[in-house]
Amino acid sequence: AGCSQCPGTPLSPLSSPPTVTSEQIEHLHRRFKQLSRDQLTIRKENFDSIPDLEFNPIRGKIVHAFFDKRNLQPESDGLADEINFEDFLTIMSYFRPIEMNMDEEQLDRFRKEKLKFLFHMYDSDHDGKITLQEYRNVVEELLSGNPHLEKESARSIADGAMMEAASICVGQMGPDQVYEGITFEDFLKMWQGIDIETKMHVRFLNMETIAHCY
Amino acid sequence: MFLLLPFDSLVVNLLGISITVLFTLLLVFIIVPAIFGVSFGIRKVYMKTLLKIFQWATLRIERGAKEKNHPLYKPYVNGIIAKEPTSLEEEIKEIRRSGSGKALETPEFELSDIFYFCRKGIETIMDDEVTKRFSAEELESWNLLSRTNYNFQYISLRLTVLWGLGVLIRYCFLLPLRIALAFTGISLLVTGTTVVGYLPNGRCKEFLSKHVHLMCYRICVRALTAIITYHDRENRPRNGGICVANHTSPIDVIILASDGYYAMVGQIHGGLMGVIQRAMVKACPHVWFERSEVKDRHLVARRLTEHVQDKSKLPILIFPEGTCINNTSVMMFKKGSFEIGATVYPVAIKYDPQFGDAFWNSSKYGMVTYLLRMMTSWAIVCSVWYLPPMTRQPEEDAVQFANRVKSAIARQGGLVDLLWDGGLKREKVKDTFKEEQQKLYSKMIVGNHEDRSRS
Repeated sequence: AGCSQCPGTPLSPLSSPPTVTSEQIEHLHRRFKQLSRDQLTIRKENFDSIPDLEFNPIRGKIVHAFFDKRNLQPESDGLADEINFEDFLTIMSYFRPIEMNMDEEQLDRFRKEKLKFLFHMYDSDHDGKITLQEYRNVVEELLSGNPHLEKESARSIADGAMMEAASICVGQMGPDQVYEGITFEDFLKMWQGIDIETKMHVRFLNMETIAHCY
Repeated sequence: MFLLLPFDSLVVNLLGISITVLFTLLLVFIIVPAIFGVSFGIRKVYMKTLLKIFQWATLRIERGAKEKNHPLYKPYVNGIIAKEPTSLEEEIKEIRRSGSGKALETPEFELSDIFYFCRKGIETIMDDEVTKRFSAEELESWNLLSRTNYNFQYISLRLTVLWGLGVLIRYCFLLPLRIALAFTGISLLVTGTTVVGYLPNGRCKEFLSKHVHLMCYRICVRALTAIITYHDRENRPRNGGICVANHTSPIDVIILASDGYYAMVGQIHGGLMGVIQRAMVKACPHVWFERSEVKDRHLVARRLTEHVQDKSKLPILIFPEGTCINNTSVMMFKKGSFEIGATVYPVAIKYDPQFGDAFWNSSKYGMVTYLLRMMTSWAIVCSVWYLPPMTRQPEEDAVQFANRVKSAIARQGGLVDLLWDGGLKREKVKDTFKEEQQKLYSKMIVGNHEDRSRS
């Protein structure tokens, strides 16, 4: 069972040495084939076949992230209609766990990439800024399941959080100063000193130890 | 032409003799025991021999694979991701704690909350519990059926010869034998029940009907070379009760009905199935619905209740999952049968996939292809456990009762107990499930928000 579509280095934006084993790539390939129903590309509709994903309130944003060209290639923009296995792996690679042998520079780059992925999730109109409206949009989606929650409450929560973000990024604002939106630099500032790498990764089960049990 | 005559008659004679011998053997060793419900034990001997051969074949493959350095076993398919066993609340608290170090009594929405959902989403995209239940289970040893070993490569001449021999035996000897038996069984069922149907209602008719049904089902069991082990037969369903079981294939019906006399429930089909159904109902009051009636839940419930309340009527056989599952798990039971209020007799059926995979993947194979696959496997081996009867407690509703029965069946059969609906094979998740998760999260944030504004 070869991975016929795998190019030499499938993990292009994160150019650190590949930490996924070939067996794990095979697994992901099998999963890709299952989702795509044996086609070469996946479209948004293919994600509908995962029942567990329906549980997730930000399902729309997660699926959208797979087709967001900003995540697939550096310095590009727009939306793709369909993605192939290489793109699928690229998105998955944003969730690699950190390796023990990474140096400072690699860790920093790693972290920036993960935060960039999150930033793109918030910034739905691709203008490089998270505006108040976009922030409200995310909060509303996360809280959308509760029928007793007034839209106003969700809005006020978003506004409060946005104001706090502004105070971190710009400091005290004058009465007629308008905060345009959170740029990526501001976003990074907000996460300074906070350890996100351990929270934003998916760990594979170690296959070798299990197979030898027979 | 005249020179060929003696040769011709010799061939004809030989043919005639061999067919007669074959049919006599068939009659003596298979059909007669089926009528009386006894067994010579031939199938058990067959099974033991096969097991020995499979063990040899597996050892041979392992040796061959080691020599060639091939990875042999498919990795453990019960999940490829190490999932954290923590709940939504714990995880979000931890994310926030590692984040700002702020006091946890004033939880508000934080940017970091999105991490949890993002990660969960990616995890389910990589691997989810439900989709893998709808494809056939993968085996770790090889049973000389190339359809179950996806990694089959040429290892040795002896193994290939053995496999070839296996194909020959299965297709040229076992298959015609089984088809002949199936044909006999079905035609006996149809004629037998029609004949019994002409008798006046009474003890005699019931007695005959029961034995005709049992005999024909036993012949069908032998037609599939099904080797069944029944456990706890003292818990077998009684009149006026409902028998529920997990569903893997249409063969489940034959397996259960060859050990007990049940009233079947189902939709009337056309074709051969329809003929069998119409004949059966003449001898015994099965509950068949027209296609239009199936949609009307109240009608269905009413007819079932009527049947159950008549204590002289037979126990009903129902498969509450509603669809075929691949026998590694039990999915959600539809609550309809549990609302009726009769005693429920749960039955767990577990197939041993070593001899032939009984799962019917209806999106991949039609009924005829499926039956052919069954008849060209080595055997169908399964265990049936009759669990003690259960009744609905006053404080539980139909859904809870259904789940309780489901857990008992899953535990006994060694299957995974899943909350998901078997209908997910074809449809999407209901919105109610999605809203549950969202409600939990929003309660965390807003519930505390309201507390603060009140104080």
